Amino acid sequence: MPSLRFENVRRRFGRLAVLNGVSGAVGPGGMLLVTGPNGSGKSTLLRCLSGLLAPDAGAIEYREEGDEPLDAAERRRRVGVVAPDLAFYGELTVKENLEFFARLRRVPAAKGLAVLDRLGLPLDRFASALSSGMRQRLRWGWAVLHSPRLLLLDEPFQNFDASAECIARELLAEHLAGGGLAVVANPSALDFDHAERLHLGG
Amino acid sequence: MKNLLAWLLWLWMSAVIVAAFLWAPLAKGFIGQSSRILFFHVPMAWVSFVGFIAAAVWSARYLFGGRDPRHDRAAAVAIELGLLFGVLATITGALWARIMWGAYWNWDPRQTSILISLLFYGAYLALRSGIDDQDTRGRLSAAYALLGMAVTPFLFWIVPRITYSLHPDPVVNTQGKVNMESRMQIVLYASVAGFTALFFWIHNLQCRLQAHSERKSAPLE
Amino acid sequence: MPSASTWAAEAAAVFVKEWRCEFRTRYSLNTLALFAFTTLVVVSVSLGPLGVSFAQGTSVLPVLLWVILLFSVAAGLPRTYVQEEETQTAIALRLAATPSALFCGKLLYGLTLVFALEALVTPVYVAMTNMTVRSPGLLALALAAGGYGLATGSSLVAAIIAQARSKGTLFSVLSFPVLLPLLLLAVELTRRAAAGDAAGVALPQLLLYDGSVTVAGLMLFPAVWNP
Repeated sequence: MPSLRFENVRRRFGRLAVLNGVSGAVGPGGMLLVTGPNGSGKSTLLRCLSGLLAPDAGAIEYREEGDEPLDAAERRRRVGVVAPDLAFYGELTVKENLEFFARLRRVPAAKGLAVLDRLGLPLDRFASALSSGMRQRLRWGWAVLHSPRLLLLDEPFQNFDASAECIARELLAEHLAGGGLAVVANPSALDFDHAERLHLGG
Repeated sequence: MKNLLAWLLWLWMSAVIVAAFLWAPLAKGFIGQSSRILFFHVPMAWVSFVGFIAAAVWSARYLFGGRDPRHDRAAAVAIELGLLFGVLATITGALWARIMWGAYWNWDPRQTSILISLLFYGAYLALRSGIDDQDTRGRLSAAYALLGMAVTPFLFWIVPRITYSLHPDPVVNTQGKVNMESRMQIVLYASVAGFTALFFWIHNLQCRLQAHSERKSAPLE
Repeated sequence: MPSASTWAAEAAAVFVKEWRCEFRTRYSLNTLALFAFTTLVVVSVSLGPLGVSFAQGTSVLPVLLWVILLFSVAAGLPRTYVQEEETQTAIALRLAATPSALFCGKLLYGLTLVFALEALVTPVYVAMTNMTVRSPGLLALALAAGGYGLATGSSLVAAIIAQARSKGTLFSVLSFPVLLPLLLLAVELTRRAAAGDAAGVALPQLLLYDGSVTVAGLMLFPAVWNP
C-alpha cells in the first residue's frame, strides 16, 4: 500500500528560507491539500516531494510496496506531476509527445491517450499551437501516463474551462478511490472537504 | 597550537629565502644569479598543481559523498589558490625566460601546460560566478573539476612531445632524477615543503573566513 | 532493475526525438552548415588561388580544418541541452528519463551531427585548399576518433552550462581547456595522414582520450542532470 510521509523539510534559496520545517503524511486513498498565501512555499514543497528539488534538511519517505522508502531518483520516476511550468516539445504533435514520454517511461501510450480523449484534446495538433487550457489537458495526460500511485498537483485546474475541470476532478476522485495518494496545491476552488489540510504560513 | 605552527612556517620560509640567496650554490649553465629563481618558481608551479589535485579530491567528496557545502567551499578555494600560485609561477618563469633565452614567452611545453591549467582554473571560476543557486553551483563546478582531472593528464603527455623543450631538463626534470648539488637539493626541497604548507595554511584561513561571512549573512532560524 | 533492451529503447527514443525535432526546424543543421562553409570560404580565399605548398599543407591545413570543425560544433551542438532548459522541457525529462539513457541518446545525436558535418566539410576543404592527403584511411580514422571526442566532450560541457547564465560565452570558455588535448592529437594524426606517415603514439592516445571522456561523461552526467 502506498504511503507518503515527510518530516521537518527545510529549503532556502540564498538568504530566503522558503520552507521552515514542514511535516505531513498521506495514507492510501488520502489527499493532502496544501494552502497558504503567495510565496509560502507550496510549489517548493511539491518540487521537493517530487524529487525535482533536494531539501536542505528533513526526510521525505514515499513507499509503494514494502517497507523501504524509494530513493529520490526512483521517486522522481514514479510520481505523477502536474505543474504550471511543465512544458512539452512544440515541434512535436500531442500524440508524438505522449508516445515519446511513454517510450521513456517504458509503458504503452494508451492510458495517456485515453485520458486526453476524455478531456478532449486533438492528438495531431502541434504542441506549440495549443491554447493554455489545452496545454493543461496535455499536462494531465502526461501525468497519468504511467499510472502513478502518487499525484503531485500544483494548480491542477489552471486555465481549465468548467467541463475540463469537472473531468479532471473525476480523474482525481477515481485515482483516490483506487487507493492512490494526492498532494494538491493551489486548486482553483478549495472545496475538498474530505481532504486533510496543510497550511504554510506566510 | 595553530599560532605555533604559523610561527614555525614563518621561520621556515624565512630560512628558505635566506638560504636561497646566501647558502645555496649557483647552478651550472645559468646566467648570473638567475638560477636562484628556481627555489621559488618550481615550488609555486608544484603548489598550483597540488591545488588542482586537492580541488578534484574535494569535488569528488562533495559530489559522491553527501554534498557537504564545506567540501564545495574547499574545492573552490583550492582552485583560487591554484590560480594565484599558477600566475606567480608563470610570471617568475617568464622573468627567468627573459634572462636566459631573451624572450618572456616561448611556447615551451611547460609554459604551455601551465597556461592551459590557468585556463582551466579561470573557466571553473567563471562557471561558479554564472550560477546563483548554491547547490547547483557546487554540483556543476564539482563535475567540471572532475572532468578537468580526467583530461589534463593527456596534456602532460602530449604537449612536451609536440613542441621542442627549452626547459632546463638536465638540472630539473620530471623523471625524478635530479642532477643538482646537494645544497641546492636541500634548499629546493625545503622550499617545496614550505610552499605546500603555505598553500594549506592559506587554504584553511580562507575557508574559515568564507564560512564565517556566510554565517553572518544567513537568515535567522 | 529495468532490462538492458528497454534501456536501449529509451536511448533510441531520445535519439529519434532529437532528429525529429531537428528536421522540423533545421536549426542546428543550418547553423552548422552555414558556420562551416563561411569559415571554409574565408580560409580558402586567404590561402590564395594556387593553394599551398606540400610543406604548408602538412603543417597549416590540418590545423585550420579542425578549427573549422571545432567552431561549427560549438555553434550548433550545445543547443541540444540548452534548449531543454530554456523551453523548460527539461522538467518533464527529469521526471521521466533515465539519465544514462538520456545522455547516450543525445550523444548519439551529437555524433551523427558531427560525422555528417565532417563528411560534408572535409572533401570540400581538401578540394578547395588543394590539400594532399597521402593516407586517406588514416584521415578517416582521425576524423572518426577526433569527431567522437569532440561530440562527447561538448555534450558534457553543454549539459553543465545549460543550467548556468550566459551560456554562449560559458560554453566556449569551459570547453576549450577540455577539448584542447583532443584537438592537438587530432591535428597531429591529420598531419601524419596528409604526409603519409605512420599513426604513431597519437592514435592510441586519442582513443584513450575518447575512452576517458566517455567514462567521465557516464559517471558525471547523473550528478550534472539531477539535483
